[in-house]
Amino acid sequence: MSADAFAAALERSARKAFTAAPDPRALEKYLTSLHLDDLALACACAQGHAGAWEHFVREHRPVLYRAADAIDPTGGARELADSLYGELFGVAERAGERRSLFEYFHGRSSLATWLRAVLAQRHVDRVRTVRRYEPLPEEDDRGAAAPDAVNESRVAAWVQLLRRAVTAAVARLAPRDRLRLGYYYAEDLTLAQIGRALGEHEATVSRNLAKARREIRADVERQLREGEHMSRTQIDECFAAVVDDARTLDVADLLSSTGSRKDSDDRRSKERAEGASA
Amino acid sequence: MPERDPDRLLEPVLRHVLSSAPTMPQSVCVDGETLAAWADGLLDGAQASTVERHVADCARCRALMAALIQTTPDKRATEPLWRRWRLSWVVPVATAATAAALWVTLPGNTPVADQSERSVTAQASSEALPPAAGPESAAAPAELAIPRAAVAPPPSEPPTAKAEQTELESRLPNGRPSAQAPAAPEPQFEKIEPAGRVAEAPAAAPAAADDARGKRAEADTTGTATRSVAGAFARPAAPAVEIASPDGSTRWRIVGGQQVERSTSTTAAWMPVQIEASDGLTIGAAPSSSVCWIVGRRGAVFLTTDGTRFRRLPFPETIDLVSVAATGDRIATITSADGRSWQTTDQGATWARR
Repeated sequence: MSADAFAAALERSARKAFTAAPDPRALEKYLTSLHLDDLALACACAQGHAGAWEHFVREHRPVLYRAADAIDPTGGARELADSLYGELFGVAERAGERRSLFEYFHGRSSLATWLRAVLAQRHVDRVRTVRRYEPLPEEDDRGAAAPDAVNESRVAAWVQLLRRAVTAAVARLAPRDRLRLGYYYAEDLTLAQIGRALGEHEATVSRNLAKARREIRADVERQLREGEHMSRTQIDECFAAVVDDARTLDVADLLSSTGSRKDSDDRRSKERAEGASA
Repeated sequence: MPERDPDRLLEPVLRHVLSSAPTMPQSVCVDGETLAAWADGLLDGAQASTVERHVADCARCRALMAALIQTTPDKRATEPLWRRWRLSWVVPVATAATAAALWVTLPGNTPVADQSERSVTAQASSEALPPAAGPESAAAPAELAIPRAAVAPPPSEPPTAKAEQTELESRLPNGRPSAQAPAAPEPQFEKIEPAGRVAEAPAAAPAAADDARGKRAEADTTGTATRSVAGAFARPAAPAVEIASPDGSTRWRIVGGQQVERSTSTTAAWMPVQIEASDGLTIGAAPSSSVCWIVGRRGAVFLTTDGTRFRRLPFPETIDLVSVAATGDRIATITSADGRSWQTTDQGATWARR
């Protein structure tokens, strides 16, 4: 690989990082923070250097496959990993030049982490696309899940009330607390995985989750008490309605006549996906 | 219900709200490399906060990060047992116990025994604790003393960091690349060239290598991290590529690109297998403990059905092959370096483009 080509790669990296002309010290700090050996490897691969490509395949292919297996143990992500090779090698041509996915790597992270991020990105986008095209549930299922007519409207109202209150309470938390809750409740990560990601010990993650739950509950109770003028007994009943049977959340969706149809469909689709993955 | 933690009462709603929250972040989505850099802990405080705030509110980026986290290997699992903090106390305790035993058993507490014990203690301590930054660290193994940036450059490759940085500085402030940017100065590159040669020295000459490593570390003190770029292709030979059967009972490994060895659960030793490969072998797949497919450069495809004898299969193109996925001894899908795929369902007799 020529010095000019590598200098051009460094320049691309710096241009990507700085929107305006940086001061020399900031530029120096940035350049010295780069994973230069990985950037050189990526540049050489993008240019079609056979030795570099061989080195890349030998060093990073097992990493990518392990990542694919971790994302989808059924082997679904392996296809994505394989398809990445073509894009990394650069088959598409634009203006007579071969374009490689490597050109999007600027050395800011390690090449291995970047590859895992690209793979994760492809996987998430594929999953989201599949969810978008999932069919709606059968009408019979809706009827079977509905509670008796006496309580249904009250339960639905409580669930909607709680959902709004919880949403508002979550929004008031610090970003890190929201992220921690999201990892735990929406992404089903383990305490250990969250701890590794956030640089916290498992026990600290657990304590912080408990603290966030406590804050949310206090916030929700305050909203119900002050905003809805509910008594202690009513609040307890409201909580009990969703705790007794978590399916009431789905039922509330199905019974809800407010909101657009599209919004409702999106929610149902996501809830079904959540139920399937649980 | 009364026995439940009251703060957990809202968990069903919480799970529901967080899972179905619409993607309404306050900022545009973060690109993959920035997320990767964040995952690596390489962003500064302000950048990290910005990314964290976005990921906390963006369902897609949060899912992406979650997938990335799931692929992150647990470093503790790959560390030697004695390095883990929970067991690190074993080293000094075992050392002390050994010292006490020797003190008691050796007649007359001879100076020799005492001296050897101190030596053991020093060694154990250096393993249990991180290397000191003081003069003692000079006694550490040469490999530990070599900074990351000391990877040697290839024989005819890039310029030094300062040259590149100067060039960039000359280009960036006015926002236009300068066609007259000075070329990389050769002398600085020549200064570190010997290290490149040394890096390729065979492992059979440890003394020479250690000496050279010292020189390399010394040379590095005048350089910057950018020089490490050049070392991307001058690293020591990569470890052999291993292919394991699904049950893990049999493993094959590609050694030096042309030889293949096999190890089974009954015979842990690596034994060479029969394969006549003239082109570089790259990778393989083993759908069972007796079947293994191996592919390589210039259309090289090999298959064994008994685990020990590989035969070359015909392949329609002379192209470098980088990937193989097999479901048995008859069906395999092979991907070439340019991204094309072929499948055989008859043990390589015919191939169909996919």
